[in-house]
Amino acid sequence: MANPIDKWYPSTKLMIVLTVIIVSMFSTIPLVQYVLFGFAILLSLCSGKIGRFLNTFFKSIFVIVLFIFLVQVFIVKNDDSQPIWWFIGYSQIGLDTSIGLASRIVAISSIIIWFFQVTSVKDIVAALEKARIPKKVTFVISATIQLVPQMTKLSQTITDAQRARGIETEGSVLVRMKAFIPMMGPLVLTSIQQTDERVLTLEARGFSAPIRKTAYYSMKKTALDYMIVIACLLGLIAYFVGGPL
Amino acid sequence: MSILTLENVSFSYPNGFEATRNVSAEFQLGEAVAIIGQNGAGKTTTVKLMNGLLRPTQGRVLIDEKETNSLTTAQMAKRVGYVFQNPDDQIFQDSIEKEIAFGPKKQKLDASIVQTRVQEAAEACGLENVLQEHPYNLPYSKRKFITIAAVMAMDPEVVILDEPTAGQDRESTELLGGLIKSLTKKNKTVITITHDMEFVTKEFHRVLVFAEKKLQKEGTPREIFWDEELLQRSALKQPYICQLANALGYQEVMTMDELEKRITA
Amino acid sequence: MSIIELKNVTYQYPLDSEAIIKEIDLSIENGKVYGLIGNNQAGKTTLCNIMRGFIPEMFLGELTGTVMYKEKAIQQYNIGALAAEIGYSSQNPFTQISGVKDTVEEEIAYGMENIGISPEIMEQKVQELIELFKLEELKEKNPFELSGGQKQRVALASIVALDPEVVILDEPTSQLDPQSTEEIFEIIAMLKKQGKTIIVVEHKVDLLAEYCDEIVLLEDGRIVKNGSAHQVLSDPDILEHGGALPQVSLFYLKHLKQNTSVPITMAEAIRKLMGGVSQ
Repeated sequence: MANPIDKWYPSTKLMIVLTVIIVSMFSTIPLVQYVLFGFAILLSLCSGKIGRFLNTFFKSIFVIVLFIFLVQVFIVKNDDSQPIWWFIGYSQIGLDTSIGLASRIVAISSIIIWFFQVTSVKDIVAALEKARIPKKVTFVISATIQLVPQMTKLSQTITDAQRARGIETEGSVLVRMKAFIPMMGPLVLTSIQQTDERVLTLEARGFSAPIRKTAYYSMKKTALDYMIVIACLLGLIAYFVGGPL
Repeated sequence: MSILTLENVSFSYPNGFEATRNVSAEFQLGEAVAIIGQNGAGKTTTVKLMNGLLRPTQGRVLIDEKETNSLTTAQMAKRVGYVFQNPDDQIFQDSIEKEIAFGPKKQKLDASIVQTRVQEAAEACGLENVLQEHPYNLPYSKRKFITIAAVMAMDPEVVILDEPTAGQDRESTELLGGLIKSLTKKNKTVITITHDMEFVTKEFHRVLVFAEKKLQKEGTPREIFWDEELLQRSALKQPYICQLANALGYQEVMTMDELEKRITA
Repeated sequence: MSIIELKNVTYQYPLDSEAIIKEIDLSIENGKVYGLIGNNQAGKTTLCNIMRGFIPEMFLGELTGTVMYKEKAIQQYNIGALAAEIGYSSQNPFTQISGVKDTVEEEIAYGMENIGISPEIMEQKVQELIELFKLEELKEKNPFELSGGQKQRVALASIVALDPEVVILDEPTSQLDPQSTEEIFEIIAMLKKQGKTIIVVEHKVDLLAEYCDEIVLLEDGRIVKNGSAHQVLSDPDILEHGGALPQVSLFYLKHLKQNTSVPITMAEAIRKLMGGVSQ
């Protein structure tokens, strides 16, 4: 049950992101930023990803924004700071600044979060290949992304193996820190050794064959993609002509 | 008094995938038990329940007739040792001697006892001449023996070997057989997962057959390998000599000696 | 016709004190299945790497002697392009996965992408191979989540996808259960029917007896026996050189004390023994 937005070409979605970022950067009134944020939420709803979006958003941006707010309002010294206690003072300018800063961060980061939720690595790689980016570059990207789950699985196996020979891994932080070394050794060595062998496997799959590569999975730009890109460009033009808000 | 007991254990993964169901078995000291069955039949899961790497979602695991759910895996490992299939997942010291000594040292044993344990384990695994070498100087198949020695040095009552014969040549398989014999002579229990039916016939007196996530049957090699219905159900084949005997019409034959007697009689 | 020819080949790894492969002469004939046996330090994997051209291209160290593929020196071929001619799968299933694709289907297609096969043909071949290697239930899974045995099957499918003329398999069944092992050998038989040349390193000599035309026994980097499967696997001498005999040959030689026309496969043994011991 794939959402149609998943099928939009990656560069199309990137265009939307760029449009939002440009508008956000040139705007001075917070209202515009809130509208852009609302736009990102709307897109997430349409993409069927609103749950994950809010989850990621609150886990990452919310903390940063809160921190900025607290620092700007209560700690940074401005002309109108009224001291409350020790180095903590209240500043109206600080409040305004933080709202302006925070709203911009929210607008930009929310559209970026949306982008990565609706664009899989596979799609990004396919789009890069279509754009004639060399296979060796896309290889590095794909391999790096796969590295994380691969190493996680490997370290889980190693942890199990070490538990089975009496190395405690459950319990206090100190205990777990001690378990780190017996875990790192095999992890690093095994990873290096596996990388060595994997190079042979890649050649056994024709990695450096001097032939023009084809793609098993590829994406196509549709009329809708072109329409969205044009709409974004028109929107930008209208924004600058009408005077940036 | 069983050293290890599985009481109607089942295990399912958090995502609901059931790996093994209603397994009950008892193990005594000094036994050599082989666990056979197709991949995916529940062998590895069941065996991981024995030393706490996995906790049963149902049923109990008892060591020496005592509950184990309050023990950590590392604590259970003192009594039930598990040798992983891939030695590179366990080796982390820079000399074979240190690798083998790690376990007993952690048990805070006297230095002279550690020394003895290391020496004995190394000799049993054919490593006495390479103790100062870096483990990775040895080929993969010999590294398997390093991990076996490391577990043996902890002197657990039960030693579990996960597919020790995979990829081993004839010489190493024979060494493994000798190892199992010396362990059972010391009254240790050896539980081995293997696909090598000839090895099973030669070294084990008790076999557990797994299929479809359940323990289908247990018995002597003779009882197991001549139960045609069981073998078919479990997608297993008889050892070659049994196949030959069967085709010639001689039932219940397990060894070349027995077949010879029947043919020349 | 020798599709691969080694003449007086000696090779030493850079950090080793002696050569691992010593003065090897080997002629691999087109269309036959070769079993390569011997102890684990005998140099079997190194020999496979040499025949595929990985040594010395991807390894340091000295290689002397000549290695010819289709009567041309193997160094003259591009190492990646050679994948379409010589398939290669090694022992460790965990390193047989490319690491850049996140489904089994794409993993199988990866090699074909690299050698420029059209998407339509790729699609067709992927489906064929998934059926042949019984991977239907796994086709959407990430290769890293598969068991060792499943990984080996995927790796094998991936190299068969390139339709090479020669296939080199280094212990393809070490992680597999008996049924899957049989299935791999059945695929080897099928590849032979397609006219391919297969070289398989294995310890399971009973199966090699059934499927191989020729057996090569390696000890300490040298070829000590090289001949038809019948010749080699009925020769008790191989036991002194790190080789193993099929169970039925062992039985015939050691228990029935016969050393002429020794059977090496189950079918042969049954036929002989049904006809009476004296046969």
